[in-house]
Amino acid sequence: MSNVQLLIVDDEERFLKTTKALMEKRGIATKTAASGAAALRIIDEAPVDVVVLDVKMPGMDGEATLKRIKQIYPLIEVIMLTGHGSVDSAVVGLKMGAYDYVLKPCDIPEILEKVEGAYTKKQAMENKIRKVQVDRMISHPMAVFDKNGED
Amino acid sequence: MKTTGQKNKGTEKFSRIRRIILTRVLLAPFIILMIVCSTLVYYFATNLFDRVEVELIRVADDHRYLIEQFFSERTEDLQFIAGENHFKTIQQKNRLADIFHVLQSTSPAFLDLGVFDKDGNHVAYEGPYRLEGRNYSQAEWFKSVCEKSVYISDVFLGYRNTPHFIIAVKKIENGVPWYLRATIDTQFFNNLVENIRVGKTGEAYLINKDGVFQTRKRSGGSLMAVDPNFKGYQSDPHRIMSFTGRDHQGGKCLCATGRLKSTGWFMVVRQDYFDAASPLIRAVLVAIGLVFIGGAVVVLIAFFLASGLANRLTLADAEKREMGSQLIMAGKLAEVGEMSAGMAHEINNPLQIMTSEITMINDLFEDCRTGEAMDKEALALMAESIDQIGLQINRCGSITQGLLKFARKTEPIVRKIIPHEMIGEIVAMVEHQANLDGITIHQEVDSHLPEIESDPAQLQQVFLNLLNNAIYAVKDLDDGLVRITSEVDDEFVFLSIKDNGCGIDPDQLKKIFVPFFTTKPVGKGTGLGLSTCYGIIEHLGGNITVTSELNVGSVFTVQLPRSGSLKK
Repeated sequence: MSNVQLLIVDDEERFLKTTKALMEKRGIATKTAASGAAALRIIDEAPVDVVVLDVKMPGMDGEATLKRIKQIYPLIEVIMLTGHGSVDSAVVGLKMGAYDYVLKPCDIPEILEKVEGAYTKKQAMENKIRKVQVDRMISHPMAVFDKNGED
Repeated sequence: MKTTGQKNKGTEKFSRIRRIILTRVLLAPFIILMIVCSTLVYYFATNLFDRVEVELIRVADDHRYLIEQFFSERTEDLQFIAGENHFKTIQQKNRLADIFHVLQSTSPAFLDLGVFDKDGNHVAYEGPYRLEGRNYSQAEWFKSVCEKSVYISDVFLGYRNTPHFIIAVKKIENGVPWYLRATIDTQFFNNLVENIRVGKTGEAYLINKDGVFQTRKRSGGSLMAVDPNFKGYQSDPHRIMSFTGRDHQGGKCLCATGRLKSTGWFMVVRQDYFDAASPLIRAVLVAIGLVFIGGAVVVLIAFFLASGLANRLTLADAEKREMGSQLIMAGKLAEVGEMSAGMAHEINNPLQIMTSEITMINDLFEDCRTGEAMDKEALALMAESIDQIGLQINRCGSITQGLLKFARKTEPIVRKIIPHEMIGEIVAMVEHQANLDGITIHQEVDSHLPEIESDPAQLQQVFLNLLNNAIYAVKDLDDGLVRITSEVDDEFVFLSIKDNGCGIDPDQLKKIFVPFFTTKPVGKGTGLGLSTCYGIIEHLGGNITVTSELNVGSVFTVQLPRSGSLKK
């Protein structure tokens, strides 16, 4: 749990600041980004497990950012943070591979809960992948080299 | 209060429409009717007076002939007696009485008969007076008959002192003349002329060449008096003259005069103008009556028709107005719907921040309670969070205020507006949203623009709509730019919203203000926005125009009157 690397993306600076403080207080290593582009940069620099992503942002909006993240790092789980009264935009996000959505306004425990859920899912997914790779390695030991070659 | 005002306006409009219809429906027929009537009256009058004139001439001619005939017959009677008798024998009393008896039986007009010798001595007389032995040598008639052999006198008094006139003939027997004279019964003679009647006032009488009445005039004019109107008579020795004259009392009359050859008298036939014109007056009265009755009926029918028509027009107008206001409402609702999503986001963001801050405060508070930390840093953090909540509450407040301004029910309330402030407020409502989409809004409205009088709430709706359209048009561009510029002239202020978006197809440009016309995908736009704007601006006495070039951009220009002039 304490190993989760969280990234919060929102255009509200104050929200980022407060939430980061609260999350870190709760033992979650948190990074923040004020825009989609900044978020992608941060992900590129260091591994991130879960992204809390605001849908409505200037420039690259939430949906576009989600698309990019999922393209490059399909394993990163994304939680959409939507301010719209309707869940339409959330549904769009879910269809594009988001883990879940949170309707604004939401309190910190709610976010925390979803982040944990997302991290658990990600870990499960990684374990599964590792297992598959191990299985494959066992059945086709030579494939390791192919795979390494491919990487 | 408001409804009564509306109703008054309605009835006012109704009366105005009815008046217009009435005047147009009635005026033309009325003019035509008047022309027809006056033409008819004119021809009728001409014809009537022609006929009266002909009638008068006929009466005058007939009676002139009659009287001439009477004179010549009586003269012939006397000439016959003179021819049949000798001077000696006729003087015998019995003989003269016999002759007179025969004479009276041929014509009761003879009053007496007398015989005169060459010197004018009255030698024999038969009649009601005693006139024998008098000498008439100096009498006017005697002198004339000596010369002319036949003489008919004017009416005179003579020895007997009653009005009468005489016929005298001369006979020459063996070179010596003698004379026969008969008096004509004035009463009998009068009846010949006096009983002539034409219409109610038409009368006939005789005057001599000096204008002295030879017969009585029924409407006042005794025998031997001078006719006061004599000077006004026109005469011609050979034919009957007819003319319109005025009598001495100023009354208008129609006259016909003819001259009697034997005596030089005038036959006068006269009728009062108004009597002659009485059929005309009657006809005119009847015509006026008919025109009034018919006119009243026509006016009544026209009034009801016009009322019905005006009523229907007013109703249709009211319906149209109702539709218009419903359209405005519908447009407003659609706008509200579109805005609510964005508005929710706007409000939810500060709410989210507040939620976080409260969690933060709670955390700090908890720390303090457990005594973990109660240092200055924690207090500062708490104060910061509380400030932040206040800030976010203000933000929410301004958003809801903007929403209220937009949604307020808007009867046109004309107020003074400073254009660049108004635009500033409106832009503030959409700017954040636009910036999120990467769109720049340039406000280039001249801050020195004069104040305008208009409805701020409705203008806000219009400009919000136009701005949203402009933003929509440039949404997919990387360098979306919306500019708001201004111009001014003596009467109007022009506010233009320019975008550098995709532009509008010329075919669509024509229909752009048509209700329910939209290019947005189904469910995204109602097609009411621009038509509503158009209605509002027109209602405020202004105008919206649009120019557009494909792939260059569109310009919507709102023209607003500087002084409030609501379109009635």
